[in-house]
Amino acid sequence: MRILIAEDEKSLADIVKKGLKEEGYTVDVAYNGEDGLFMAENEPSDIIILDIMLPVIDGMTILKKIRKAGIKTPVLMLTAKDTVMDKVSGLDSGADDYLTKPFFFEELLARIRALLRRNSGVKTSIIEIGDLIIDTASHEVIRGGRVISLSAKEYALLEYMAINRNKMLGRTTLTEHLYDQDFDLDSNVIDVFINRIRNKIDRGFDKKLIHTIRGAGYMLKG
Amino acid sequence: MLSSIKAKIIIFYLMVLFLSLSVLGIFLYLGLGKIVHDSIDSSLLSRAKALAMLINEDNNETEFKFSDDVMWEYNSPKSKSFFQIRRPDGTAMEKSASLGDSELPFQTGKNQTSFETILLNNKPVRLINFHLHNLVIQCAEDIKDQTNLLKNYRIVLSLSILSIMIISASGGFIIARKALTPVKEISETIDRISESNLSERVTGKNIPSELKGLAASFNRTFDSLEKAFNRQKQFTADASHELRTPLSVILSQSEIALRKERAVEEYRNALAAVTEAAKMMSQIVQKLLTLARLSSDKVELNIEDINICKTIHEAVKLLNPLAEQKGISINISGNEQPVIRGDRAVLLELFTNLIDNAVKYNTPHGKIDISIRKEMDFIVTEIKDTGIGIHEGDLDKVFDRFYRVDKSRSRESGGIGLGLSICEEIVKLHGGRIEIKSKVGEGTNVTVYLKGIKDVT
Ligand SMILES: Nc1ncnc2c1ncn2[C@@H]1O[C@H](COP(=O)(O)OP(=O)(O)OP(=O)(O)O)[C@@H](O)[C@H]1O
Ligand SMILES: [Mg+2]
Repeated sequence: MRILIAEDEKSLADIVKKGLKEEGYTVDVAYNGEDGLFMAENEPSDIIILDIMLPVIDGMTILKKIRKAGIKTPVLMLTAKDTVMDKVSGLDSGADDYLTKPFFFEELLARIRALLRRNSGVKTSIIEIGDLIIDTASHEVIRGGRVISLSAKEYALLEYMAINRNKMLGRTTLTEHLYDQDFDLDSNVIDVFINRIRNKIDRGFDKKLIHTIRGAGYMLKG
Repeated sequence: MLSSIKAKIIIFYLMVLFLSLSVLGIFLYLGLGKIVHDSIDSSLLSRAKALAMLINEDNNETEFKFSDDVMWEYNSPKSKSFFQIRRPDGTAMEKSASLGDSELPFQTGKNQTSFETILLNNKPVRLINFHLHNLVIQCAEDIKDQTNLLKNYRIVLSLSILSIMIISASGGFIIARKALTPVKEISETIDRISESNLSERVTGKNIPSELKGLAASFNRTFDSLEKAFNRQKQFTADASHELRTPLSVILSQSEIALRKERAVEEYRNALAAVTEAAKMMSQIVQKLLTLARLSSDKVELNIEDINICKTIHEAVKLLNPLAEQKGISINISGNEQPVIRGDRAVLLELFTNLIDNAVKYNTPHGKIDISIRKEMDFIVTEIKDTGIGIHEGDLDKVFDRFYRVDKSRSRESGGIGLGLSICEEIVKLHGGRIEIKSKVGEGTNVTVYLKGIKDVT
């Protein structure tokens, strides 16, 4: 899952980035509105966290522009104001959710999960694919009643595939959603990770969940 | 009720109306009375003359040649006309049958024809005493009908006046109410204006021109109220915004640090970041309190004689370490020792803020020149730096609360945009003003004029 944070307060943006990375998310940061708009339009993000008061271009304008450009990525607005007016105009201009500063990091995580879920049509924090159970809140993965331990990156890849299950996912897509813009796109990395996950969740089971589509990519299917 | 404008207008208006109607009524009444009396009097006079013609007087012999056809109107006891003929000394000689036993009253001594109104058998009667050379012919006529006519006329007049007054009163009430409706509307609008809809104004096509001025001045008052209110609201919003960001940093840093076991180094970094944010918050709070204290109506100041030169030296001493870090040299010139009445701590705050800006927004190895001089009543301090300068468009905004030209740059050096607002308040308190001139890339020039606080005796 790749998240874009547009927040001019560097100390805040950096710590949130750190926290999200530890949760297995891939994070890009823009410290002003101009960069924020560019990255929102050009980097494939799964969620955009947008501060309203941004230098150069403010958050509301960015939101309107990207919606006009047809980008449907869920947007979580961050604001230092909590008047009703702000909430209404934020949601009107196409924001999916709202968080008022100061916020609890746990709450930010919960909102992010909810937005990702909403986008994939899953109702609870538990995703079930056959006998594979993924708890997106606790990052616990169970198959056939057995707890499987995954590294943060492995988990992130599995969760992304689970949310987009039954969809063919190309190597580039997977890389883009797993690594930030500084990563040198080398899709072989994905093959390595897929092999590790396969070893952990498919080995010893008759029914394989991870499918390779020759020349195109991978798919998680129950 | 009686104190209302409406009642006053109506009462005054009724009084004026009553007065003029009464004058008119009295005038009409008296006029009619005169016409009636005049006609009676002239008929009495001609009667008397007619009787005189029937009297023959020869050598003290008086002969009355009263024929029946003249006498018929005097003969009946029910007749309303009377006469009596006397000598000037009052001796009765002849009288009409209509008088019966009674006599017409007579006063001797007058030898001029005269009219009077008397009561004869309790009836109003008009009487003429017509003097001939040796006789007085008294003719009288019952004027009960005429008196009644006048009495009726008086009643009709009074009733008319009364009804006109009643009609006018109700008309006046309606007019007054109509005239006062816009006033009521205005006051209702004003009642409606409250904190939540301060932007509402007294408007409407039906405000008469007489009240436009009133409405306009109400609107002006509300304009300035609204502005002050919005300024306050904006200030509160800005203040909370400034505090929310470091608070978010503190929350996120500590929450994330506590999510799992970490190396000591990581905890240290997190705590350092938390300390940084908390310091920032405490600075903001401190400056907000200073500003609130200075701009409240009841500032408590410790007023004494202050040597401005000395205060500036103190401020420079406080900021020297910061200046040395950036390699900036500070030079103070001016050999006067000007003294004003003021608060030492507050004035020190003023110069520290200004010199702090001159250091913070200076280029490395830049210069700051401070000059002090006297100019009329004022002590003028000029602080000149060779720093980055301020764009012309930003110049008039730098005194706004929380305004920073370059937010990110200012933030790095810990600026929150309250310094100059505080300076402005301090200068105002000390009976002076502050001016700022700047050129981007060349430097900024801040001039402070101080007069000192007037001692209240
Ligand atoms: N001497 C100067 N040279 C250049 N810019 C200046 C100077 N003084 C003030 N400014 C500009 O005006 C803004 C407002 O100044 P002010 O002192 O009110 O706030 P601040 O310095 O940002 O914060 P603080 O409240 O800590 O003083 C500054 O952010 C800066 O951009
Ligand atoms: Mg300052």
